[in-house]
Amino acid sequence: MSGASAADVRSILSLPPPGTPSTSTQPPLKKAGSGRKPEGISRELYALIGPSVPSLLHSSKPRLKQKPNLGGSRKVKWERRAFKNVARKDSLELQHWVKADDPEEDYAFAKYNVQSDIYTYSQDEYNRLLEDSEWTKEETDYLFDTVREYDLRWFIIHDRYEYPHGPERSLEDLKERYYSVCRKLVRNRPWPGDEASKSQLLNSFQFDKEREVTRKKYLASLASRTPAQIAEEEALFIEVKRLEQTERRFKKDREELLRTLAGVESGLEGLAVDDDGPMGNGELLKKKKKHGSDWEPMSAGPSVISLGTPMPKKGQQSTKSSVPSPEEDILHCIHRTSAPVPNNLPVTKNAHTPVYLRSVKIPVPKPAGLAPKVIAILAELGINHLKLVMPTKENCERLESLLDAASALVDLKRAVDRVEQEISTTRERIDSSKSTSASVAGDTAGTPMDVDQDETGTERDADGEKEDESVRAESVVSMRSAWGRKSSRRSMSISSVDTSTPVATRATKRMKK
Amino acid sequence: MAERVRQRGISIFRPIVYGNTATVLTQEERNALSTPDHTHKWTVAVRSAASAPDSDIVGGADDLSYFIKRVTFKLHETYANPTRNVDKPPFEVSETGWGEFDIQIRITFVPESGEKAISFFHHLKLHPWTATTEPEIPPLEEALKIGPVHSWQYDEIVFNDPFQSFLQTLLAHPPTPLPKTKRRPIPFHATNPGSLEASKGGVPEFTALMEKEEAERLDVAKQAVIAETDKWRNILIEKEKELKKLKKQLEA
Repeated sequence: MSGASAADVRSILSLPPPGTPSTSTQPPLKKAGSGRKPEGISRELYALIGPSVPSLLHSSKPRLKQKPNLGGSRKVKWERRAFKNVARKDSLELQHWVKADDPEEDYAFAKYNVQSDIYTYSQDEYNRLLEDSEWTKEETDYLFDTVREYDLRWFIIHDRYEYPHGPERSLEDLKERYYSVCRKLVRNRPWPGDEASKSQLLNSFQFDKEREVTRKKYLASLASRTPAQIAEEEALFIEVKRLEQTERRFKKDREELLRTLAGVESGLEGLAVDDDGPMGNGELLKKKKKHGSDWEPMSAGPSVISLGTPMPKKGQQSTKSSVPSPEEDILHCIHRTSAPVPNNLPVTKNAHTPVYLRSVKIPVPKPAGLAPKVIAILAELGINHLKLVMPTKENCERLESLLDAASALVDLKRAVDRVEQEISTTRERIDSSKSTSASVAGDTAGTPMDVDQDETGTERDADGEKEDESVRAESVVSMRSAWGRKSSRRSMSISSVDTSTPVATRATKRMKK
Repeated sequence: MAERVRQRGISIFRPIVYGNTATVLTQEERNALSTPDHTHKWTVAVRSAASAPDSDIVGGADDLSYFIKRVTFKLHETYANPTRNVDKPPFEVSETGWGEFDIQIRITFVPESGEKAISFFHHLKLHPWTATTEPEIPPLEEALKIGPVHSWQYDEIVFNDPFQSFLQTLLAHPPTPLPKTKRRPIPFHATNPGSLEASKGGVPEFTALMEKEEAERLDVAKQAVIAETDKWRNILIEKEKELKKLKKQLEA
């Protein structure tokens, strides 16, 4: 027995068998001649480890008493240089020491001044996307201003959040509103990058209020346990462990009994000994809890087994329809549009999309009213909206999203025009009201402007043209509605556009007086 | 019966090119014609998108007759029997002429596809490409020097939910992929005037690079549009703020 193992060791180490002593004595001699004690190893150590010294020791001698090398002979020149921090808005100039040969660069720490990009939205976007029964636009604006001011530091935001006459908002309320607005904006604005980065950004704006509240509740309850509760919990845990162990022992015993008495393997899977250790048992335990039933080994058995069984079934199914692999699909130019529906469904003629040329599906700018402007924008960028050089699926999609982005831009510009128009109208009205109030200062003192101003105005202008009066009446209506309800802004803007010129002329007329 | 079952959830396409190549006739060639006023000879064709190596035509690496039964070219009425049916490859018509016109191309598919024919137009291009959209026709001698004129459009024929038997046919004929690199000139396309220089000097070839290049062009344009949108949105928000302030002022 021992002889055989010695031979094994020899063969493993590829040493010659002991029967040939002439060769076995030769190598040690040779080694003794060639392998002198290397420097840096004590004689005693060398005697112990012999010539099989790790090669590392050879190369690095310990040089403990050497002087440290302090950067050589060259002197480094430092100089005090003024710098500006790019991250600062004021042009404060400070000085710091830099190596003289370092190039002039932007302040290296400026990049750490990260500004979070807080979204803003226009009135139109708010009306279209962001309406919420719980929130007014003013409060949303206030929230966004606060978020901007405190740079997304939610606890501070929540602390400082004080919207006059607004309902009490919890931290989660604020977060939910903010993130839902961001999500809606991201989803609805044209996106410059690809879909992956968009969904990534959307994920970063994900906020589940319910979950957050539950999480905090759990944490609170976890932190507020009394020592007695903690002790009880621990005791219970130990109890469970003990039960598990007895369970296992019991199963093993039964298995053995069956084997010795009946002489058969018990074919009951439920009795199989679990060797997974505590983890596996924990899983089993969970399962038990989920079932809501007491410990039933027979019912737990199949559920464990079933984990293994679906594989062959799936295999049978997949052999019928060949497994799609992405490479093959590219080779054969296949796009899988959706999960294949069972084949036995009757195909109605209408459901089928007939064959087409890809380029036919290049979309037209919508809506038609904006089309010329959209086309003009694209033309400016050197893009033909009708034709592509390579109308592949991806490029057609790109063109489509480009068209969407362009029409959004056109929309936006129109909104700007509209607001500009409104601004100029309002300005004129302010001017006119100023002159009115200046001329009738005595009458209007202390009375609300919106009604009285115009009444006095009409009185004063009673000798003016009739047309002018009717127009002004309209403008009164529009002004009242503007102050009364925000929602009717659109209608006001239209009517106010009409009135703008007469108001102006009226103002100048009054000036003449 | 099983043959007539559609494979649902699949859209399978075949890349094709269609277009024409035109050469100016020399005086001797013109004299030999029965119609001496014809100045060009041209070939209009429908082919697979990839070019065969060392071939002197655009595209045509694969035989498309496994899914195309017939290609009909409808020429100008002044030609003798203007509707030309081509039932076997190569799907092309060669003619001589003096003017450019729109050719209607109609592709009929093999019966097992169960698909109706599709038709589209190609503008027969005889005169050399210019960077400007306004066509200026150089004298014939110059055009002769410039060499053959190529006008080709890439496109994809998309079959949705094909019949299983037809799908098998298609799978049996995977198209030659477009070359990854540029080996020959780029086919000129009026949509991308920048490619004029790169299109010169020989028989052009469609490559996968062209797709990428166009994708980049579209992306750049989109980014420009979005940058502009952001700018205008900020303007809008500023203006709205201003308006609000003014309104308050008016109210006060």
